[in-house]
Amino acid sequence: MPSHDTPSSPAEGPSRRSIIRGAATAGAAGLAVTALGGALSPAASASTRAAGSTRAAGAAAGTSHDQNAADGPIVVHVRNAKSGDIEVFSGTGQTRVRDADLAARIVRAIA
Amino acid sequence: MSSHREAPEISKDPVADSTDVYAFVSPDKPNTVTLIANYIPLQSPAGGPNFYEFGDDVLYGIHIDNNGDGRADISYEFRFRTTVRDPDTFLYNVGPIESLSSPNWNRVQTYSVSVNGRSVGSGLTCPPCNIGPLSTPDYGSLAAAAVHNLGGGISVFAGQRAEAFYVDLGAIFDLGDLRPFEDLHATFGLPKLPKAAGVNATNHVNVHAIAIQVPISAVTRSGHPTIGIWTTASRQRVTLWDADRGENVNSGPFRQVSRLGNPLINEVVIAMGDKDRWNSLPPADDKQFAHYVTQPGLAALLPVLYPGVFPNLDALVKSGKPRADLEAILMTGIPAGLIKGFTNFTGSVIADMLRLNTSIAPTAPGKQSIFGLLGGDPAGFPNGRRIADDVVAIELRAIAGVTYPLIDPKFKPDAAAGLLTDGLTPASVSASPLGQFPYLGVPYSGYNEPS
Repeated sequence: MPSHDTPSSPAEGPSRRSIIRGAATAGAAGLAVTALGGALSPAASASTRAAGSTRAAGAAAGTSHDQNAADGPIVVHVRNAKSGDIEVFSGTGQTRVRDADLAARIVRAIA
Repeated sequence: MSSHREAPEISKDPVADSTDVYAFVSPDKPNTVTLIANYIPLQSPAGGPNFYEFGDDVLYGIHIDNNGDGRADISYEFRFRTTVRDPDTFLYNVGPIESLSSPNWNRVQTYSVSVNGRSVGSGLTCPPCNIGPLSTPDYGSLAAAAVHNLGGGISVFAGQRAEAFYVDLGAIFDLGDLRPFEDLHATFGLPKLPKAAGVNATNHVNVHAIAIQVPISAVTRSGHPTIGIWTTASRQRVTLWDADRGENVNSGPFRQVSRLGNPLINEVVIAMGDKDRWNSLPPADDKQFAHYVTQPGLAALLPVLYPGVFPNLDALVKSGKPRADLEAILMTGIPAGLIKGFTNFTGSVIADMLRLNTSIAPTAPGKQSIFGLLGGDPAGFPNGRRIADDVVAIELRAIAGVTYPLIDPKFKPDAAAGLLTDGLTPASVSASPLGQFPYLGVPYSGYNEPS
């Protein structure tokens, strides 16, 4: 993305490949989950709800959304299962949440 | 292709890999500037049946900084969409493509343009690739029809073009060999090589160009004629292979994966460990990379590769003095007073941008120097970059010390420094440039160039 005359946030934007690599290597629980259209998997649905509730609690960081975020696939990236550091991608938006319980449920879902 | 395959990660992603940026006052419309960003390097013209196209999943940008802070004040952004008219054939076209609306063309790419997020054009058609005399019988006219007027004095073109950059890649990346001087190369104890003419490794290949021509008044601030230009490509943070649908699924915000301003910077100045990170950052963040410019590795290599040829450069390198001349040329622009009557200084912010002083009129074709400012032609690189400028020789000579007297008049460049070249000229490019927008030549056809 261009860097306009607004502060950039390079720390927020590792390369796309590092994300994919991270999904494969983030401890024992790194994963990426996609749910297409309205057929959300239980794990993804839960993550979406949890993301909202966690944001409400003021624990989220680095949030940006587009208006049609819920219409397309939703991708969940558990960066660190132990600490519950989770990124949720949808449309051109992303949300970062910290929810150890959610991360643990996702880990159990793929076990 | 001054920046093709220049970083490990982006070399695996050709549709997002920027290869060259050109910026010049339009010679036939001197109240406008032309900005060109090329992508998809080293295209074999015969590369069917799936010929080259822009990435529908890539956000392409051409950016202008007009206040010297290394951040975009004006961003032209381009998004592409590919339509397959008949998915039940394997063919790119089912008959001659004689117009952009031809039903024979099966895989059509269109695009939208926005300026700082405001749409200024959509549904704009790219030309097809140049396939051959049966498929694209009048390619010049076909492509000319793909120049779109967006109003407000803005014209755009996006599509395949002939590669215009000339460089002897094969020799240069064979341990810094310059064929005209290879009899002087150290050769590491291997047999000496006889000097030879350069070989243009990028001849007879195509690229995909995004070109935009805009009024100078639309991109400059009053009283500040110099602008900084660079291109970027961005991808969404997540890409997943959806095996059920047989295609990628993308999600998340766009993040920059490719950047290019001055030619050859990320290719031969930035070290391998930083190249992809450099690609992800804005010019405003370039201070952290300034040491690569002020202490360039290539300057230290030349005396080693060509023993005894560059004694003064060797002494300069060993002195540890920072190359403030290169910093000015590449990272801040050249301040007034260093070269009589010339400046393209944008301020103290260290930022790799192609800087163009738009108040300098184009030089008439017969009077241009391919060595640009080094050749006494202020309308050429590093004042912007014209299509024919020999940026390889210019940067080689500058790094070898030719420009160091700008900041230390006592320094005497080595005699060889001012002669450095890879042995190529614009005549090394088979396709002639056009005399009008989009200036880059008609792409080589697959029928005629089955490389």
